[in-house]
Amino acid sequence: MLTLQLLVNGIALGAAYALCALGFVLVLNATGAVNFAQGDMVMAGGFVAIALVSLWPVPGLVLLPAVVLITGLLGLVFSAIGYFPLKSRPPVSVFISTIALGVIFQNVAMVTFGPEPRATPPLLVAGNVDVGGLTVSIQAIAVILIAALLVGGQHVLLMRTRLGQSLRATAQDREMAAALGIRVNLMIALTFALSTALAGVAGLLLANTYFVTPTDGTNYILKAYIAATIGGWGRLHGAIAGAMLIAVFEVMFPALPLLIPVLPVAVHGMFSQTSASIVLYLALLAVLFLRPQGLFGEIAQRRA
Amino acid sequence: MSRRALISGLMPFAGLACLVAWPLVFNSPYDLRVFTLVGIYSILVLGYQFIFGHAGALALTQGAFFGIAAYVTGILGAKFGWSFPVTFPLSIVAPVLVAVVVAIPVLRLESHYFALATLGIAQVALLIAIKWESVTGGANGLAGVPGIGAFGLVLPRGYPTLAFVWGIAGVCALVAWWLMRSLRGRAFQLMRTSELAAMSIGLDTARLRFLAFLLSAAFAGIAGALHAHTLRVVSPEVLEFHVMVTCLTMAVIGGRTRVVGAFLGAFLLVQLPEWFRFLEHYYLIAYGGALLAMIIVAPDGLVGLLDRIGARLGLRPRHTLPAPVPLPSAAPEDVTAEVPLLSVNGLTKRFGGVAALEDVSFQVDRGEIVGLIGPNGSGKTTLVNIVTGLTPADAGEVRLMGQDITHDPAFRIVQRGVARTFQLIELVDDMTCLENVAVARLTKLGAGFGRSRSPTEVDAPFGLAKRQAAHLLERLGMLEAAFEPAGNLAQGLRRRLEIARALALEPRLLLLDEPAAGLNEIEQQDLAIRLKGLRTSGLALVVIEHNVPFLMAIADRLVCLNAGRVIAVGKPSDVRADPNVVAAYFGAQPADGLP
Repeated sequence: MLTLQLLVNGIALGAAYALCALGFVLVLNATGAVNFAQGDMVMAGGFVAIALVSLWPVPGLVLLPAVVLITGLLGLVFSAIGYFPLKSRPPVSVFISTIALGVIFQNVAMVTFGPEPRATPPLLVAGNVDVGGLTVSIQAIAVILIAALLVGGQHVLLMRTRLGQSLRATAQDREMAAALGIRVNLMIALTFALSTALAGVAGLLLANTYFVTPTDGTNYILKAYIAATIGGWGRLHGAIAGAMLIAVFEVMFPALPLLIPVLPVAVHGMFSQTSASIVLYLALLAVLFLRPQGLFGEIAQRRA
Repeated sequence: MSRRALISGLMPFAGLACLVAWPLVFNSPYDLRVFTLVGIYSILVLGYQFIFGHAGALALTQGAFFGIAAYVTGILGAKFGWSFPVTFPLSIVAPVLVAVVVAIPVLRLESHYFALATLGIAQVALLIAIKWESVTGGANGLAGVPGIGAFGLVLPRGYPTLAFVWGIAGVCALVAWWLMRSLRGRAFQLMRTSELAAMSIGLDTARLRFLAFLLSAAFAGIAGALHAHTLRVVSPEVLEFHVMVTCLTMAVIGGRTRVVGAFLGAFLLVQLPEWFRFLEHYYLIAYGGALLAMIIVAPDGLVGLLDRIGARLGLRPRHTLPAPVPLPSAAPEDVTAEVPLLSVNGLTKRFGGVAALEDVSFQVDRGEIVGLIGPNGSGKTTLVNIVTGLTPADAGEVRLMGQDITHDPAFRIVQRGVARTFQLIELVDDMTCLENVAVARLTKLGAGFGRSRSPTEVDAPFGLAKRQAAHLLERLGMLEAAFEPAGNLAQGLRRRLEIARALALEPRLLLLDEPAAGLNEIEQQDLAIRLKGLRTSGLALVVIEHNVPFLMAIADRLVCLNAGRVIAVGKPSDVRADPNVVAAYFGAQPADGLP
């Protein structure tokens, strides 16, 4: 029973990670550049929600469209400052510019909200429900549903709409897309907006259970990165699968002494949130060493 | 000495004088400590320049190396009471060892993987420092780290510590300058511009990057140890990401490859926040803003900016053309002339299910020009890539003067005497033509990394290399472009420059991938004459071309590939008339439609 409960929590965390990782990969595919500030956009989403709720105390679900809008706009500004001036430079320049933007976001949040952890309001209400004997938090279920809806929506947008077609064409081959009359720069800017909006929502979803502090970004970008690496650099579905794997591992690992009672008490101390992260990074290095193309192979375009 | 030369000659002394004057003017204990930190960060950035600036890899481990060293010093000093002569070397060794271990999985990764993987490592170090309380003191860290000292004597705070730290910074600066000057620095510049080109001049790029990474770690170790001694405490803060960002910002703002840049960056980014301390967290926002502005406006940093201003004012010394010196004549060959220079036997390569090469065999003799023709996708470039070691073969063998080179790494094959040019030209655009060629003399003149030379000697190879490069440029009829940046050249000259660079390797065999592409007719004729002239010294050429008339004029033999197989070998006129060739290469029509 405990296992199932943990699994639900793990999936909820994974769903939020997936949104962040998905945005990361979208930008990666469209520009060939790594957006290092993607994690800070998760943090920004959390604080945007906190700022909104202080003006207008409503449940998180009501805030969601506003968070999408604001972080999406932030993404447009972001691309205008951090990407477009550098688009013909080596990818490492964009990497550095996004590090710089991340630092700016972090410290703007620090100055505005202070270093203490804050929580966003629950999506619906706080509390648990009983599902067939399983006690699950309402927030976890809501997070999973919202994330699933957004991932599905994003899929429909990319695969079924004219705009999505243009976005994909831009990601595939920028010059060819331009030759076909697609407004490539607009598409890239929209990709940034979509990406940061997804991260922003992840922030809203996460910060109720896990709180948010201005320095959280580094943690989230690493998670998105690990998810993208495990899932195969450039693969959208791979990134979602990777995010789920990471999150379930993170939730399960500290609980292993509870789940496996035969473990000697002496080693219980080894199973903590911190050691889970350490094991995760070491696993990442192992993946890179053994399968640099990720578990499912990589498809991201390379810029010469 | 002209007034301009005098001014530029005096600049370093003026800088040094400012450096000495600063702590004499700003001399409160607090000011002195801040200036000591400037020295420490300069060392950190000097180290970071090796991997980030010279090798061009965005490593995010420099902060972690710094923190690890600080903790080693802190733990050994505060907990065990060990003193500086023991803890200092150990603090340098520790990050270097970590670098050796992480380099194995990480260093061969491409930029994005590399950066984030190194960040993962840094994060592990931070988590361990927080979690392993019994040793590291957890989130509170360790207090009571001893000062710098030995045999019971400890350097007092203030001037003595400051002088010691700056003394070490000076030594580090000399080492960094000495390691990266002349040919080596240019070799690194080539490597970060084009790894392919670096391999093609015989550089073991993996080894260079590894060395740069270790040097970074060692310098970070020095800085970290001194930091712990100066502050007398160690806390997880030294491992946090903002140390890394600070170091990166200093390198970007100061300049990525120049010693002066490290000091300039460190000085500005340590001093400015002190002056603007009243801004509190806003100064970190300014940090981010400054980093962003610099990367957009002046990617070469302040040093690059000052250089450009200096060049505007005409402060840079005028170039004088070095007197051309011919390359040493080829060493007597160790193998009898009966063994062909190059023999390719049964070479096969598949990409997925597609056979790019199928049982390809042919030979090239000394002094011969062999044309390699075939329709697009027939496997010509794949063949050259296998011969030069860039692509591994699935089956078959490549022999150079009888020796099997099939499985040699690319740089070794170059050192054995096989040079090449690329279809898409690989030059360093912002390096002069002369330097683009001179850098290829690196391995031959023995000025490579790791070979120690006295400072007077290290300049000699560079001087000689430039004179030999001048000779090669002259031979290709482009000496007047010697000081032109390669990026300013027209296509025809760029091709010739690449050939000059390949010739600087003293090759026995030169493989040219579409040398006539993009050249006009006059340029083609000129190139043909020059290529024919090259074989007088016994050099053999393999020329890939689509331009059949160009090849007819220079080739002794033609090899025709189609769909990965050799379909004809022989005299140019015979191959051209061969019905198989006509059918495959020129289309099914008879050859009357040919030029």
